Amino acid sequence: MLSKRNVITYAIAFVFILLLNFLLPRMIPGDPLMAIYGDEALIAMTPELKTNLVERFALDEPLWHQLGAYFVALFQGELGYSYYYNAPVLSVILGRLPWTLLLVGTSLILSTMLGIILGIESGWRRGSKTDRAMLAGLMSLNGFPDFFLGMLLLIAFGVTWGIFPLAGALTPYSGLSGLALLLDVLKHLFLPVAALTLAHLASGYLLTRNTMITVLKEPYMLTAKAKGLSQQVLKYRHAGRNSMLPVVTQTGIWVGRVVTGALFVELVFAYPGVGFLTYEALLARDYPIIQGVFLIVAISVLAVNFLVDLSYPKLDPRVSYAY
Amino acid sequence: MLEIKNLRVSYGQDVILNGIDLELKPGETVAIVGESGTGKTTLALSIMRLVEGTVRGVIRFNGKDLLALSDNEMRQVRWTQIAMVFQNANNVLNPVYTVLNQIMEPMIEHRLKSREEARKRAAELLGYFGFPRERFSAYPHQLSGGEQQRVLLAMALADDPELLILDEPLSSLDATARAEVGNLLKETDKHSAKLVATHDLDTASKLADRMAVLYGGKIIEAGPTQDVLSRPRHPYTRALIRAYPNMTTVKDLQGIKGRMTHPVNGCPFHPRCTQAIDICRTKMPPLVWNQGRHIACHRGGIITLLSTRSLTKSFGSLKAVDSVNLYIKAGETLALVGQTGSGKTTLAKTIMGLHPPTGGTVYLEDTRVDKRGKNFYKRVQMVFQNPGESLSHRLSVLEAVMEPLDIQGVGTKEERKEKAIQVLGEVELPQTSDFLNKYPHHLSGGEMQRVAIARALVLDPALLIADEPTAFLDASLQAKILKLLLNLQEQRGLSMLYITHNIAAARKVSDRIAVMLKGKIIEEGPSNEIIAAPKQAYTRDLLRAASTLHSAESSTVE
Amino acid sequence: MHIDLKKEIKESGPGKAGLIILLLMVVIALLAPILAPYDPYQQSTASLLPPSWQHWLGMNHVGQDIWSQLLYGARTSLLVGFGVGIISTLLGTVFGVSAALVGGIYEKVVMRIVDAFIVIPMVIVVILISAYIRPSITTLILLLSFLSWQGGARIIRAQALSLKERANVTAAKSFGANHFYIAWRHIIPDLGPILLVDFIYSVRRAIFMEAGLAFLGISDPTVVSWGMMMRDALSFSYLSVWQWWLVPTGVALSLTIIGLTFIGHAAEPVIEPRLRGVGIA
Repeated sequence: MLSKRNVITYAIAFVFILLLNFLLPRMIPGDPLMAIYGDEALIAMTPELKTNLVERFALDEPLWHQLGAYFVALFQGELGYSYYYNAPVLSVILGRLPWTLLLVGTSLILSTMLGIILGIESGWRRGSKTDRAMLAGLMSLNGFPDFFLGMLLLIAFGVTWGIFPLAGALTPYSGLSGLALLLDVLKHLFLPVAALTLAHLASGYLLTRNTMITVLKEPYMLTAKAKGLSQQVLKYRHAGRNSMLPVVTQTGIWVGRVVTGALFVELVFAYPGVGFLTYEALLARDYPIIQGVFLIVAISVLAVNFLVDLSYPKLDPRVSYAY
Repeated sequence: MLEIKNLRVSYGQDVILNGIDLELKPGETVAIVGESGTGKTTLALSIMRLVEGTVRGVIRFNGKDLLALSDNEMRQVRWTQIAMVFQNANNVLNPVYTVLNQIMEPMIEHRLKSREEARKRAAELLGYFGFPRERFSAYPHQLSGGEQQRVLLAMALADDPELLILDEPLSSLDATARAEVGNLLKETDKHSAKLVATHDLDTASKLADRMAVLYGGKIIEAGPTQDVLSRPRHPYTRALIRAYPNMTTVKDLQGIKGRMTHPVNGCPFHPRCTQAIDICRTKMPPLVWNQGRHIACHRGGIITLLSTRSLTKSFGSLKAVDSVNLYIKAGETLALVGQTGSGKTTLAKTIMGLHPPTGGTVYLEDTRVDKRGKNFYKRVQMVFQNPGESLSHRLSVLEAVMEPLDIQGVGTKEERKEKAIQVLGEVELPQTSDFLNKYPHHLSGGEMQRVAIARALVLDPALLIADEPTAFLDASLQAKILKLLLNLQEQRGLSMLYITHNIAAARKVSDRIAVMLKGKIIEEGPSNEIIAAPKQAYTRDLLRAASTLHSAESSTVE
Repeated sequence: MHIDLKKEIKESGPGKAGLIILLLMVVIALLAPILAPYDPYQQSTASLLPPSWQHWLGMNHVGQDIWSQLLYGARTSLLVGFGVGIISTLLGTVFGVSAALVGGIYEKVVMRIVDAFIVIPMVIVVILISAYIRPSITTLILLLSFLSWQGGARIIRAQALSLKERANVTAAKSFGANHFYIAWRHIIPDLGPILLVDFIYSVRRAIFMEAGLAFLGISDPTVVSWGMMMRDALSFSYLSVWQWWLVPTGVALSLTIIGLTFIGHAAEPVIEPRLRGVGIA
């Protein structure tokens, strides 16, 4: 399944996200303003502010005008205002985003790389006890939801043995800097990353392993062996390189999964990223935040998918990119 | 440099190679010739220890037994000392690396060159094989078959191996590329030895000094290439050459009877052999050195079926047959060409014993023939010129064909009848009772001659003497009869002495031609040599006078 | 493709194990009302009690019997799982087969939409929607189905395309058969193994998602769910209650998912014969 997704697909997805964001609050019966801001926020608003907002978002006008106003606001980077956090939605999100990026980025890299390596080694030894054990093991691991893994890790390493901290991304009020700060961050990052990586390891592993099995039967593997190349070279440069290709195609989808998983993991570890923010916003019915997060996250995932699709032809010379 | 002793390769129950003995000296090129599935590729791969399955025997390379090496030691031998050019197919090259890169790889991995040196050398090699410079960074799927073949060749030479194994190196190339690449291969690396596995006799002829023919997992003949190709001594080799379309052979193509089956007890070729005897069924013949050739045959190669020594027949003072030395090998056709009065028919009849010889001797399978009894006629039969005369007008078709069986007292009447009917089928005549009851005057010329042929075959002779069999037939029937004779030879492994004045027809059916003039054999040799390069003036005259469809002045070489 | 799917699964060790686990869960789910000693919704003052003979897994923070909750949780997971699985596979078949048979602009449009949905992370969409509309179980099933049939549709369409080229379809066309007939009689029956595998993976995905959503607190609060149980247990992870509250629940959930994974894995060689003989067993 090579990248046959073209621009139209992404355009459709993009439009869908925007429309969903736009339509949902307006489809709920009742006062649209309440739907957009939540009843709690409304209590805090002055009448003038309400009128102002109504005008801004053209809430008393037909849907088309609202859509227009919506897009205008959007492209000005205006994501709304959170009354819960008392700050513009965008700045709230941006404040939390780095932690999530750290978490997601690290986990994604680790799980993909480890998955590929394990997949190559397993596929190379296909049918052997090691292979079978790895396969059974990773498939079982795959069945554990990321939040369950996170909770187990938290309880084991955090609560029971106290090796790692229980919550947060930093030790609060510690005033650390330099190397000490880095270590602190890493200590707090360790368990969440572990949970997220382990939960998503199996996808890369399985795909790589399956591809490896077919690749090893190809004629060029015999050619490579005839060239007197070492096992390592055969495994990685020849078989591995070819087995990686399907993994790259799937990376975009996996980003979506890992980002989703980060939501749960952040919740378990009270890790102050965008996921935890969403949870807090859900509890507080802070719709602007929820919408803002959705928009940013969904579009980011879309963008990553798109970039991955673009770069695939560079990795597989057999594919020529046709729009 | 390379010595293979008793190599056996089997995969589960299947025995693919059943005891191969082969030797290669530095600088030699040896071709392993065999049809598809005979194990050529397996042989090639097992030298490099790349074959799955059980491998037994000895493969000695520069003194060490490759089969006894550890995996790591073998890995170091691969490509640096022995390299292989794989059969050109899809995905023989890794699709994600450029062509240049893949040639550089073994040089770098075996620590023979630095990256820069490797790149230079790779470029050199590609250039040598005529691969365009602009395409060096191309990927395998972007190449044509011919280009890919050149890459494979260049890649194999990357580490300057002493032994190069090539699996069908020319088959994916068109004719002009073949010639070009063939020459390049010959010129390159004259001190290295090459082993070429191919089914293509042309490739063997172009590239190899010696060739070995593989059949049924064994080598059945081996010798200098040109020798083997022009004078094959094993029945299979001969049949292979006969089946191969080329510009040298003049005889029409013939197939080989039967199909290759394994496994087979005894000699692997015996079910399809034209001269198999009892021992061939039970014991495997060893590969032995016999007069300049290695051959694996219990009978030492194609045997001489009939020969004459100084055979002479005079009618008074006229020497019709003057001291003739002739031989006919098993399964081959010797055409005896001469004009009327040259003595051809007399010679035939003398051999048959219809004229007692004045001098000289006839040998049948190396046994002197003095009296021709029933046994002789069981083995040698004749078809005469005029079927209208040679068939008795009193006998029906069935009776005529059964006659030899009746005379020899073979089997019961029922069995004889069955045999006669079966043979009539072989000559493509109807086997209906209507036809069986017809008399010669009811039949056409062609039908009559077929009946005569059937009659000659009914005793299952080894040698058929056909004396101008188409002399009394229309030209269109000539072709059919000739084709019939060729088919019969293919099916039954018949030898034939084909007597004719028509050298053009002779060349189409014969392996060898003997030219007769005034009772003497003035020239004799393989058909294509006689036709292409006759030594005697008389032969040249015959050729010039032979039927051509274009006149000499207007003909242009096409 | 005369490959017997049932045989494939039965012959594989893990396949069998997966089947057993799944059957166990189904039985539990069906018989929960009978098997559960207490009403799982019944609250009491006996909160956070450790396991005892009357309460095998102790009590949660509002005094509900955890064992009974565990049993009822199976119902929710399986109900949502199978519900979504059926509808999702159905939709995937309808759109996949129709796209393959009809072709043209219809196919292009459908496949573009399918691809668009595949690229969007669906859990986030569900979270967004759930923030506005508190979904009941039924709504949740429908919602999840609408957002997850697309993956299967691609595979089904691919297979239908190759089946379409077969001689029996050409013959049927020559008799004047229309698309419905061809789909019903010639294509869908041969899609059997693929549909089953798609179904298994849909069920698995749905159970995953339901648990996750419940964990976030946006599922149907009137229904006992393993995810929700784990959410409640989270707040008390510093106490020893996790041993009998969190772990059994998590394990039950994980086992169900693993069981489905193994069944799916055993069935895969049916679609990709090259993988046969190199699986777990």
